[in-house]
Amino acid sequence: MQSQTQTEKKIILVGNPNVGKSVVFNTMTGSYTTVSNYPGTSVEVSRGQCEIAGEHYQVLDTPGMYSLLPITEEERVARRILLEESPHVVVHVIDARNLERMLPMTLQLIEAGLPVVLLINIMDEAERVGMHVDIALLQEKLQIPVVGGAMGRAKRGLWELRDAIRDFEVSKATFNYATDLEKDIHGISELMQGDYTLNRRSLTLMLLQRDEEIAERVKDREGDRYERVEKAVNDTIFDRRVDLHLRISLERKRICNGLLGGVITQKDGNQQTFADHVSNWTMNPWTGVPLLLIVLYLGLYQFVGGFGAGTIVDFLEGAVFEEFLNPWVIGLCETYIPWYWLNELLVGEYGLFTLGVRYAVAIILPIVGTFFVAFAVIEDSGYFPRLAMLVDRVFKKIGLNGRAVIPMVLGFGCDTMATVVTRTLESTRERIIATLLLALAIPCSAQMGVILGLLSGVPGALMAWMVSMVGVFLLVGFLAAQIVPGERPMFYMEIPPMRLPQIQNVMIKTLTRMQWYFMEIFPLFMIASVLLVAGKLSGALEWLVGMFNPVMRLLGLPNEASAAFIFGFFRRDFGAAGLYDLQTEGLLDPVQLTVAAVTLTLFVPCVAQFLVMQKERGWKTSLTIFFLVTGLAFAVGWALNKFLLMTGFLV
Amino acid sequence: MKCTFCEHELTPEMLREKGCGGCLGGCRKIHCPYCGQENPIVPELLEKFLKDDKHKA
Ligand SMILES: [Zn+2]
Ligand SMILES: [Zn+2]
Repeated sequence: MQSQTQTEKKIILVGNPNVGKSVVFNTMTGSYTTVSNYPGTSVEVSRGQCEIAGEHYQVLDTPGMYSLLPITEEERVARRILLEESPHVVVHVIDARNLERMLPMTLQLIEAGLPVVLLINIMDEAERVGMHVDIALLQEKLQIPVVGGAMGRAKRGLWELRDAIRDFEVSKATFNYATDLEKDIHGISELMQGDYTLNRRSLTLMLLQRDEEIAERVKDREGDRYERVEKAVNDTIFDRRVDLHLRISLERKRICNGLLGGVITQKDGNQQTFADHVSNWTMNPWTGVPLLLIVLYLGLYQFVGGFGAGTIVDFLEGAVFEEFLNPWVIGLCETYIPWYWLNELLVGEYGLFTLGVRYAVAIILPIVGTFFVAFAVIEDSGYFPRLAMLVDRVFKKIGLNGRAVIPMVLGFGCDTMATVVTRTLESTRERIIATLLLALAIPCSAQMGVILGLLSGVPGALMAWMVSMVGVFLLVGFLAAQIVPGERPMFYMEIPPMRLPQIQNVMIKTLTRMQWYFMEIFPLFMIASVLLVAGKLSGALEWLVGMFNPVMRLLGLPNEASAAFIFGFFRRDFGAAGLYDLQTEGLLDPVQLTVAAVTLTLFVPCVAQFLVMQKERGWKTSLTIFFLVTGLAFAVGWALNKFLLMTGFLV
Repeated sequence: MKCTFCEHELTPEMLREKGCGGCLGGCRKIHCPYCGQENPIVPELLEKFLKDDKHKA
């Protein structure tokens, strides 16, 4: 069997990042390793040697990958290694604690016809939380060698792994998908006749998921035959009219659930199950919605609204700026600067210092800071993906598309960014609906903070605002979904484990976000200040405010509110801060405050968001959305004012 | 670092070039290619400070 001039057999290690792959690599190879860039890329790959039962092997440690369908450069390189290095054995290293999440890739590797050995690593940690994995049963079901290990300290499983590699025989296991999918796969793979490392079944699956690199390869090998393959693939994608990518990964999930039945047993570790309970509660509509309200109440209302926008802003704005800094700076300017216009520019009504710096430092920063703290705590607990799942269920009931959940949730951070994220949605229709709703009814973090702070002082106002926002969101979403019909692909998201937030993570995220936020808004506030002063001095502002006055009267608002709306177009938070000024000057009664807050939240997105909207959706769509949103904002404001005055609520 | 939304592993080197284009003064965020989440890039100074802290501990 063995020839004397044998070439070294290759063992390739693959798996997600953080599953202890490098430890396995080091344990297997000892110190004879080299690290070099993979040809033609900047990605590093380690190679080493090892000897098993007298035979030499080359061991390759690949960059982390989540799936055979690559997204990142790292994953592309990892896959290329699998395609090009003709492995003797592929060792898929997975984390015992995350079997469910990682097993689908094992399936992909097996169905690609690769010689897979599964190494379930980090068993010690899994056992510590009361988890037991039946290795023998899993091996029987998968029909490939499965080794349990903990390579960290004890090098547990190393010898079993070596044995598995020594005795390796390729298995012929296949896992069947739903019948219709199987028929498609079969039909297409029949057409391919070239010679490939991966089997044709898995190549077909990747073609169906529109993998361009694989398409190139197949084109290369098939030559004239490729045209028929391409046509069959396109026809299938067209016929199915569903997200094949999602469909295939759901099928894989289904198979994995079947495979894992009876394999994992959980001893009653109380902590573990409690986190699981909480996790389930957050996603069940009956418990999830009340939980969401509690999170909103504590995180946003109490912490951001009460503490940030109340306590801290009062101190900075009232004590530091109004009483101390402003009089001092104004006095300084008046003494030393003889020119009226420069005084106006620096410390006037819209001055760089009195408006720009004060808004940015005394009003926006504390609010955004506390918001970011709350956001980071919630984020670090793993709550957001669960929220996405929860909201998805609620959305579906009113005919909205579940996939839009992610950009919507992100929109509460910043609508501009969320608008970019609508790119990930499947159809143009969904993108348009999502973009519209973002522009209309999702307040960004800064705006929400200011508004929460403003309204939380007035009983009932916050309630009216929330009901209006949710109402408009659902109504417009519902109508849009009716007008723009289409399929509703299933929404699926991987749910990471829930855990206690870590102070250090929260701190890093908050500080980092505050830094970029400040860097972004500060120049804008300065520019806005300059424009406003120029407007004031030239009389253009007065004219613009005059244009707005009739609209303000329709809404039942004082003329002074015009300015807040004009500010609002620069940035949402800027407009909200303008509102804050009006409120502290006592110019707004509860009804007016609520109407102004609702209208301003619905009102046109900021300049940045409009620009991104234009870039993503084009002039026609973005202008339509712009006018639609503006019209709706004022219409709702008008109706709300009438309604509140009529019912006497808030008066 | 991990994506704060979907928890996929992200490396700044591979993602820094993919700014969203919507940020003034350059993008200070890593946009996750898996879910689109905008992850803040930790400033070098802060990172250095935290690392020093860890070494001392
Ligand atoms: Zn992500
Ligand atoms: Zn960006």
